[in-house]
Amino acid sequence: MNRANNLVEAIDVRVYYGTKRRPLRAVDGVSLTIARGESVGLVGESGCGKSTLGRAILRLEPLNSGTILYEGTDVAKLAGAGLKDFRRKAQMIFQDPFGSLNPRMSVGHALEEVLLVHGERSAETRQARAAELFRAVGLDPAYLRRYPHEFSGGQRQRIGIARALAVKPSLLVADEPVSALDVSVQVQILNLMKDLKQAMSLSYLFIAHDLAVVRYVSDRIVVMYLGKVVESAPSSALYVRAAHPYTEALLSAVPDVGRGLKARKGKHKRIVLSGDIPSATQVIPGCPFHPRCHRAKAKCSTELPALRDVAAGRKSACHFAEEVLL
Amino acid sequence: MTEPNGILLDVQDLRTSFKAKRGMVRAVDGVSFAVRKGETVALVGESGCGKSVTALSLARLVPQPPGVYEGGRILYEGRDVLRMDEAALRELRGKEISYVFQEPGESLNPVFRVGYQIGEAIRLHRANVNVRDEVIRLMNLVGLPEPERRMDAYPNELSGGMQQRAMIAMALACSPNLLIADEPTTALDVTIQAQIMELLGSLQKQLGMAVLLITHNLGLVADVAHWINVMYAGRIVESGPTEDVLTHPKHPYTIGLLEAVPRLEGTAGRLKGIDGTVPNPAQLPSGCKFHPRCGKCQAICREKEPAFEEAGPSHSVKCHLWRS
Repeated sequence: MNRANNLVEAIDVRVYYGTKRRPLRAVDGVSLTIARGESVGLVGESGCGKSTLGRAILRLEPLNSGTILYEGTDVAKLAGAGLKDFRRKAQMIFQDPFGSLNPRMSVGHALEEVLLVHGERSAETRQARAAELFRAVGLDPAYLRRYPHEFSGGQRQRIGIARALAVKPSLLVADEPVSALDVSVQVQILNLMKDLKQAMSLSYLFIAHDLAVVRYVSDRIVVMYLGKVVESAPSSALYVRAAHPYTEALLSAVPDVGRGLKARKGKHKRIVLSGDIPSATQVIPGCPFHPRCHRAKAKCSTELPALRDVAAGRKSACHFAEEVLL
Repeated sequence: MTEPNGILLDVQDLRTSFKAKRGMVRAVDGVSFAVRKGETVALVGESGCGKSVTALSLARLVPQPPGVYEGGRILYEGRDVLRMDEAALRELRGKEISYVFQEPGESLNPVFRVGYQIGEAIRLHRANVNVRDEVIRLMNLVGLPEPERRMDAYPNELSGGMQQRAMIAMALACSPNLLIADEPTTALDVTIQAQIMELLGSLQKQLGMAVLLITHNLGLVADVAHWINVMYAGRIVESGPTEDVLTHPKHPYTIGLLEAVPRLEGTAGRLKGIDGTVPNPAQLPSGCKFHPRCGKCQAICREKEPAFEEAGPSHSVKCHLWRS
């Protein structure tokens, strides 16, 4: 891949919490790239480090080691005007839009504040821009004077998106943006994000736990488990065949109408992972996934598999990736 | 799949309302459905459609005021829950009908140990049993590892999946005939969701209880439910055997919900869905309550509310235009 085309390049990033003697390895040596205009889906269970990685990319979490390059510049070294410009260009959308809106501020005021902070002096321009943003996310500009509690969950998420777009960013990190929404509203937000990506040539890091949801907005999928990347593949390939048993299990867990109907007739068998994701303070010998893996063999409990190329554009951290791909 | 036998719960024309400043708001407006013994029935719909109020009404758990049961009957083994006295209700709740809710973290009391909370219903409803042994048996039943140790844990020491298992253990404490699960997996990861659904399915087979599963995700009910009721704006708009409803949906809302479920197969283009949002129960539209969001809407839909018509063998639908 052409390096100059990379918007974000995370190299061997580590984020640890807790004490030195008993560190919680939230992100444990992750490398990831997001090309300009690319949409990357970051998937895994709660506690796998996906949100921490998203925040680290936005320089909202300090790194223990590793580097994050944004347009080729190390974000850790940014300061002053450079940092402010980065804060403008890389924006975040949160899971709970209500929690991220000030209940005492009208949503129009909240949108205008972002513009003011980033140097828009004219009140008239700010108002016009707020109305324009509202239209872009499918809301009536007449609602700008309303307060957050007057909106439904889906509308609030639209406001969250408008707020992120206010400063014309190039990267949006969206952390579970639709998981709190009803299915019909979820579709509306996914379609909106898809349209906006094209219209404004955005790049996304779309964080979610449900592989079926990320499929509609992602060009490439990165799967994380216990702070490490276990699989990375183009969307088109991953949904045909997984190259890591954990991805297989995640795919199998998605509640799907077609497969559910097949399962009634005994024609589909679901892989159900046993237990929870272990705590990231634990040190698991060998492959971190082996205690829950349905394909685990002797080698898996002793040797840590490296993330390696297994097919064109695909990486997997499984000793037996070739078998999984069959 | 065992052939379900007699009717356990028969809900007839249930109307549950709430007193508001500007008059009554009907959250549930004329809902009828039945649950047979040992059967899984799904109640599917989005936030605000009245599915949770329906669920709470079944054991008369809607607080009054502001809630008012304005009409209908809820026959549990032939007896009307809406006419029971407090003593009969106490016998019904927890022992005959029990609940599992969406947020296990909010339903568990943070200051009591998990084992104590699981044992509560046993102490209330069952004499002459060793509570501790019973709690351990229940914890084993729902797959909570190391019950002897974990019964002394506080809820915050358990993961979301474990907390939901504890809630299920609590609900099973008195071997209920009907388990009402209101969005039991919505707050959980997909992998844990699959575990909990598998657990509910196996417990149902093992214990022969009936399950009323309330959810907004049709994908979740496809392999477990015998029967699906789709709710919209306080009414059931489509009802029928699961395979029939999922393969030949008749109501435009059911069709929209099915199209809205993200899928793993097919093209990943634009998802089709439903425009607009669920109406506010205090300001429902005229005629068919779904007409402002419906792509097939005609003049008659705006004027007249459709009847609940038979559209096939035991498959009913509330739409003027289901034939087209």
